[in-house]
Amino acid sequence: MNLAMEEAIPRVVGEGKAPSTVRFWHNSNTIVIGCFQSAKLEVNMEACKETGTEIVRRFTGGGAVYHDSGNLNYAISLRKGHRLVPDGNLQSVFQRLSEGAVEGLRKLGVKAEFQPVNDIQVDGKKVSGAAGSIRWNSIFHHGCILVGSDLSILGRVLNVPRAKLEDKHVASVQKRVTTVRDELGRDISTREVRDAIVDGIESCYGVRVDSGVLMKEEVGLAEELYQTKYSRLEWNLER
Amino acid sequence: MERSADYKAAGGKLVRIRLREEAGQIRSVKITGDFFLIPEESIGKLEKMLEDTPLREQELRLLVDRFYRATQAQGAGVTSEDFVKAILATREE
Repeated sequence: MNLAMEEAIPRVVGEGKAPSTVRFWHNSNTIVIGCFQSAKLEVNMEACKETGTEIVRRFTGGGAVYHDSGNLNYAISLRKGHRLVPDGNLQSVFQRLSEGAVEGLRKLGVKAEFQPVNDIQVDGKKVSGAAGSIRWNSIFHHGCILVGSDLSILGRVLNVPRAKLEDKHVASVQKRVTTVRDELGRDISTREVRDAIVDGIESCYGVRVDSGVLMKEEVGLAEELYQTKYSRLEWNLER
Repeated sequence: MERSADYKAAGGKLVRIRLREEAGQIRSVKITGDFFLIPEESIGKLEKMLEDTPLREQELRLLVDRFYRATQAQGAGVTSEDFVKAILATREE
């Protein structure tokens, strides 16, 4: 349902029926693959079965990410033409809309930097990846932040092609990612990270983030999208 | 003949090609990977356009350029040239 909500919100924002929105959420053990990825090539199905990991496809491109309760997802939905990214360029969307999260992580003491195309890194290790799109008259950007995720499961459930690791000079996906917890050397809750990201977004973009509930239109559309798309094997696994 | 290649673009993204070739022509192709391309559904159009195209550099480049012009597609982490090189890389593997 979370991925259906990710699609429903920008659609409703693009129609002008909802304001610019930042949504925070997390999933239990799930692999979320990009819309162009082959589930068969990217995911270790056996390891998913053993670890009770679900596989879901999102509507945006980019690479597979592993979600668990130690992972914080944020999603920004704006109407097309918004002052933060007026040029409608996808690379600018990634850069500009990652800045709030970078600022938030820095406020916590993590030396985070945006790394094109779509990553936030600390000393060359990825702590967050983003994806996004420009469609439905909206600009959509979402990212997942590894707060205290179980990196050992991540290494098992994702098949990372050799070509992907070659230029990083590391042998596994586990060694090229890090978590906020590991960078700070202390336990930290996703709630604390969320609050820092809200601070980062407010100071970076000069906006105020008010908490609120989803609109009836958003929930209704998400339910429909879940039934017709995101709960279906042909969407999640076929490509 | 089934052909495949995993090609890493300069932007760091991976383009994975799985295609069926007969007598030097692409019969069907699947392009997957962790790149970005909007509108997202345009990838299906590119795959369709590639059917019955010779597996040769010049023809592929012309076709991929035509695809970008026709769809106004926009990529991130991948360029039109990356798609051409990824498809050509299937000849080497």
